Amino acid sequence: MSKPPITAAPTDSLRTIQQLMKQHKISGVPIQNGAEVAGIVSIEDIITALDQGHINDPAEKRMTRQVVCIRDHFSLVRAVAEFDRRGFGRFPVLDTSDRLVGVITRGDITSCLMQHLEQRAEQAIAHEAALMASRGEDEKAQRIVLKVPVRTGDYDSAGKISQRLRQLLRARAIDPDVRRRVAIVAYEAESNIIIHTLGGEITVAIDPDKAVIDAVDTGPGIEDINQAMQEGWSTAGRLPRELGFGAGMGLPNMKRCSDVFEIKSGTSGQTHLHSEIFLRKATGKL
Amino acid sequence: MKLDTDMKLPGPLLAIKATPLTSTVGVSITGCYISDLLSDVLAHAQPGALWVTIQIHRNVVSVAATKDIAAVLFTCGRQPDASVITEAEEEGIVLLTTPLTAYEAAGKLWETGLR
Repeated sequence: MSKPPITAAPTDSLRTIQQLMKQHKISGVPIQNGAEVAGIVSIEDIITALDQGHINDPAEKRMTRQVVCIRDHFSLVRAVAEFDRRGFGRFPVLDTSDRLVGVITRGDITSCLMQHLEQRAEQAIAHEAALMASRGEDEKAQRIVLKVPVRTGDYDSAGKISQRLRQLLRARAIDPDVRRRVAIVAYEAESNIIIHTLGGEITVAIDPDKAVIDAVDTGPGIEDINQAMQEGWSTAGRLPRELGFGAGMGLPNMKRCSDVFEIKSGTSGQTHLHSEIFLRKATGKL
Repeated sequence: MKLDTDMKLPGPLLAIKATPLTSTVGVSITGCYISDLLSDVLAHAQPGALWVTIQIHRNVVSVAATKDIAAVLFTCGRQPDASVITEAEEEGIVLLTTPLTAYEAAGKLWETGLR
């Protein structure tokens, strides 16, 4: 609504009011008698007055006296309903102590809604942009942890972990060479558990700066780690060898592809293999 | 249709009359490695290479994908299971087969200038 309202006194002439309307580009003027709204003069009243030659009459003689006002606490929805119900072009707006605080027109409501819509649209766009940006950041900053059980002798599943890692690292736009090294370590670790152990679990944590692969099995353990680390040394049985495993190159491959590589094993127990590959720089060799 | 896929084969593969088992659209090979040991391939094959092997188990596809190998040529007329071919299609790895032995295939590939 427009506030403070442009008002006139009951004694003001319709011509004075017409000039007020022209000056302020409004189409209705409440007539105030002290604090009270005594009536209202609309542009239609002015046209009639011009037409019938009483434009110099005082407002109190020609104004509409039964003024329908609305309250300043009404919702816009209710105000719109009042416009529809009464067919008026404007309403004086009163506060709870009956003081005139403004005049509202359909145009006010429309422009107010438009403004809100525009603001909301801007907010929505900004919100969406912020969301997109933070999602991108999150994805990069987020730690992804994969925990995958590996079964002994499950030659058909070999490579599933490394496949997921390749996808994840590709999505993070990691250097292809670094990506391959991570995939190779995961593949060899998985193959080792399948070929040589009673089963185990591979955990891969991908941080923004490194991939950490931990392969833990339930035994029987490696008798001589130094021997196992030699290229060509393998204890693989006939079946895995026929499938192309057991080249005796798994552990050396993993070591070569890792930036940090540790292996702990005892003949009586589990083997824990720990590998870290730095994602930001290519330090290992292929 | 057959002619169409053949047309897209790189020269060396055409020269050894390899039969494609998967789509070959857009394939290009930048080198070659021959081995039947998976870890050996992981260690020594170069990305983009043609891998010549007698292994037809699905691990071949996993290893090829891990190493970004472009195409796998099975020798001695060996053919993998349909499931392996499907997996290769999904991974974007070209599979081919030849009746030649690895040695014969290697000789012919070398003659085409593929290094």
